[in-house]
Amino acid sequence: VTLGETIDSSLLGLVLALERALNDQRPAGLLSSVPAYASLLCHYDPAITDVARLEEAIRRFEGRLEAPIPTGPLMDVPTRYDGPDLKDVAHKTNLTPADVIDAHSGREYLVYCIGFAPGFTYCGTLPDELVVPRLASPRLRVPAGSVAIAGRQTGIYALASPGGWNLIGRTDLRLFEAGATPPVRFKPGDRIRFVPNR
Amino acid sequence: VIEVVDPGRYTSIQDRGRPGFERFGIPPGGAVDWFAASIANHLVGNEPDAALIEATMSGPTLRFQSETTIAVTGGHCPDAGCPSWRAHRVDAGFALDLGRVSPGLRSYIAVRGGIEVPLVLGSRSLCAIGAFGGGVGRPLQKGDRLAIGATVSSPAVSEPWPESHRLPIRGPWEVRVVPGPHPDAFDPPAFQRLSATACLVTPALDRMGIRLDTPGLRLAATEILTTPMTAGAIQVTPSGGLIALLADHPTTGGYPVIASVITADLPLLGQARPGDTVRFRDVGLAEAARLWRRLSGWLDPSA
Repeated sequence: VTLGETIDSSLLGLVLALERALNDQRPAGLLSSVPAYASLLCHYDPAITDVARLEEAIRRFEGRLEAPIPTGPLMDVPTRYDGPDLKDVAHKTNLTPADVIDAHSGREYLVYCIGFAPGFTYCGTLPDELVVPRLASPRLRVPAGSVAIAGRQTGIYALASPGGWNLIGRTDLRLFEAGATPPVRFKPGDRIRFVPNR
Repeated sequence: VIEVVDPGRYTSIQDRGRPGFERFGIPPGGAVDWFAASIANHLVGNEPDAALIEATMSGPTLRFQSETTIAVTGGHCPDAGCPSWRAHRVDAGFALDLGRVSPGLRSYIAVRGGIEVPLVLGSRSLCAIGAFGGGVGRPLQKGDRLAIGATVSSPAVSEPWPESHRLPIRGPWEVRVVPGPHPDAFDPPAFQRLSATACLVTPALDRMGIRLDTPGLRLAATEILTTPMTAGAIQVTPSGGLIALLADHPTTGGYPVIASVITADLPLLGQARPGDTVRFRDVGLAEAARLWRRLSGWLDPSA
């Protein structure tokens, strides 16, 4: 179910509202759902339902969802701004590294999505002056806890993984623990703030 | 106990995976050729969700320290010295040297009682990117010791699994798909042109996905806003290549999906080897559901 094509807190509000509504009403055969920025993936059991029936159940909510802009709890992410791409980002944005740190840490972000790899936390939106493209060729291994930016997004690599974002810092906060319930620290709709370790 | 004498190329513990945790970024995982894995469990009398061993390209050498029953299915193992697709009793001390897998790419070794490793998030499957599950949080290594479980559902099957009810393990492949869900990201005839192209499996493949080249076809795609992904999704990268996602796929992605492989044909993708050609054919959702029911029916003795 695609509700839009932009990073927009009201669209995330709509995605989360649709997911809540589906959770409450449990259409037959709906197994699980996966939210992202402006879309919701629905897994269904083809032995019980089909796309037409599921679509009808979802369309019934159209225009009837109460979808406030998400305002989850605000949490701090202590961050050492010593990433290998910090200087490069400063260069590309005509800022000093200190300006980049101020711009990145000086605002609140909305958690839009947990995806890609376990616990990877997608947040938005970056201030205009920090918008830089992804790396031309991705790194094979980005260390766990890396704080990164790409386009209008900022994110945190919960685990070591390949990755193509610009690494500007690192946090010691554990974002993923397979044995914990839930296994991730953040969920879509939460708000976070990067706090520089000085 | 099973001792890993030699791990082979890439061998891991898998079961039916942990669907439902994608919202935490956790891939569904599980046996890539879910059908062959299900048959292996069926042949030794295991529950459908029993954990077994998935071997890739070249298999492990395993020593069984007690008498047990095993079955090997999936890709062909010409050097295993043990016919596939049927249950075998093996004596204490028996060593299974699976050898190369060809044709096909992945083979499954089920052991009566299942491989006994802890459930993590509802499954015994290895999640390699999360470094958890599969008993040791990584592919098997020499010296690993695997306990055998005690849960079975029925006696081992005495007949071989009929050839008429196996899937192809050799290309060229015809893989059935449902077009979409991102038609707006492509020019209208893009899927027709893709389905007329013999796509080429590259060596860049693992449990996350398979990269395919499209000789003679240059698909133009614009990136999309990060959206959830599924196994079977065929992504088009900015350079025009394809990535067909498998069980350990990234849960979200920003490349548009031109078509999605139907669940009944995911086992075929799991057996495709570098250099194989793949043609994608549109079958529509209703037929996709029918084909899935047909394959599931083969597994269900009551059906």
